[in-house]
Amino acid sequence: MQRAAKCALRLDLSRAFCLEVNVNVCMLKSLPPPRDEEEKAMLDSMLRVDHAGEYGANRIYAGQMAVLGRTRTGPLIQYMWDQEKMHLEKFNEILGEHRVRPTLLLPLWNIAGFALGMILTRIEGTMSCTVAVEESISEHYNSQIQTLMEAEPERYTELLQVMLLKNFVMMKKKNRDTGLEHDAESVPGYLLLKTVIQVDCKAAIYILQRI
Amino acid sequence: LCCGYWDMAALIRGLRAGRVLRGLGSVAVQTLSPQGSNVRRAFHRTILLQLVNDSKSDTSVPPPSYHEVHTAGESSSSSAHGESSEDAQPNTSFQDQSGEHGEDYETEEQLQARILTTALEFVPQHGWTVEAIAAGAETLGLSSASTGMFNNGAGDLVLHFVTQCNAQLAETLAEQNNQVQLGQAESKKTAEFMRDAVEMRLRMLIPYIDTWPQAMSILLLPHNIPGSLKHLSTMVDDIWYYAGDRSTDVNWYTRRAALTGIYNTTELVMVQDSSPDFEETWAFLDNRIKDVVNMANTAKEVQATGESVVQGLMGAAITLKNITGMNQRR
Repeated sequence: MQRAAKCALRLDLSRAFCLEVNVNVCMLKSLPPPRDEEEKAMLDSMLRVDHAGEYGANRIYAGQMAVLGRTRTGPLIQYMWDQEKMHLEKFNEILGEHRVRPTLLLPLWNIAGFALGMILTRIEGTMSCTVAVEESISEHYNSQIQTLMEAEPERYTELLQVMLLKNFVMMKKKNRDTGLEHDAESVPGYLLLKTVIQVDCKAAIYILQRI
Repeated sequence: LCCGYWDMAALIRGLRAGRVLRGLGSVAVQTLSPQGSNVRRAFHRTILLQLVNDSKSDTSVPPPSYHEVHTAGESSSSSAHGESSEDAQPNTSFQDQSGEHGEDYETEEQLQARILTTALEFVPQHGWTVEAIAAGAETLGLSSASTGMFNNGAGDLVLHFVTQCNAQLAETLAEQNNQVQLGQAESKKTAEFMRDAVEMRLRMLIPYIDTWPQAMSILLLPHNIPGSLKHLSTMVDDIWYYAGDRSTDVNWYTRRAALTGIYNTTELVMVQDSSPDFEETWAFLDNRIKDVVNMANTAKEVQATGESVVQGLMGAAITLKNITGMNQRR
């Protein structure tokens, strides 16, 4: 009962924030052309990681839909999946425009994301998983934002806007879900699960930046 | 650690800001440590100065110390090279932007590029060797000992040629793309575009076709492989980009791998082709491209067939469940 109420609340807030993010993502026309080799390499790896992240999120939602598609939470998941699809579209465009190489691990990401999505629907600590993942990704975006700001904020204003907004959305979600996290804390092995997930996220980001 | 990296990046950016020709002559600077290459360059510059300017007394030029070269922009370094000839100049951005040196000074990369371009004329005669570079240097009025500037010798010459050809190809493709965008020309189908692009690129080898096997073997030397692979991959990426490929999944890799295969095999065929105007090579190219297109179509068909088969099986399974009553919930 409580959970359903929280679900509904989450849906409303998601809708509000996700729409905002989409508007800004669509406004991202293009990045300035890179000045030289290292800038191109830096932008390349950042865009590659972000693209892989969107792709993975897409597949996770697909996995969740495959299991929960016909239940009550189906429409919610479908809605959030559609949002992610739009993000992925935008990133595909950016990658094509700037001739960034997509990561070689995409097929692996495809399967892993789908499997993870299916698994997430089963285990009790789904919320804690989501929170752990979003914490890592938030940290990752923060470091990317820092890098861009250190380099030259004016060149990357649009990209920074998008990233800051995504970060903001995730932090909001995290605050909302903190309440649910307390429920999840009663699940045995929660701390272990959270640490494992965060380490996995960091490793994935490291690898994706290179391959 | 983070700050150190950005300082280095800023230094590298500053050093490179002085380069005019990005693509040419960058071969010599492919090492990872800017300090090492700076020392080498300064050393070669000194040799060049001493050989070319016999009249000018260069004894006042102190051999550049490691520390001195590393902190580019020090006034001692710039004043030491202030008397340099019109050929060599310290190529750091700080000196370039200082306005002390006039426009008749060129960077070392530009000089190397000029020498190598001139040396290409002597390749049919001397092959892809240091002798060709020496002959090219002499034509420009420099001493033949300036080949000491090129650590990689013949490898530098071959890589320079490859870079030049790729740049020309990219320019032509961009030009064609422009025309299509402006509506002045029609866009070609992918297969035709591929064929024309590869043919254009391979035709650039025709003047050197007799010595090209030697060049290919030079490119296969272990220390040249990273450079040649990089050039090959940028060329293939260029062709696909202008062909309109904007894929962001595994297709990105399969397409480029396919084109690399086509290009390499056609190059090999061309080297042993003796037909007039290499007709057999172009026929071979046509067939290879047709093969790839066929494979892509077949893959699509297989996927579609597979999907329909799976759907049929699912339908059969559901029907079976209905018949046996397993689907009903009691």
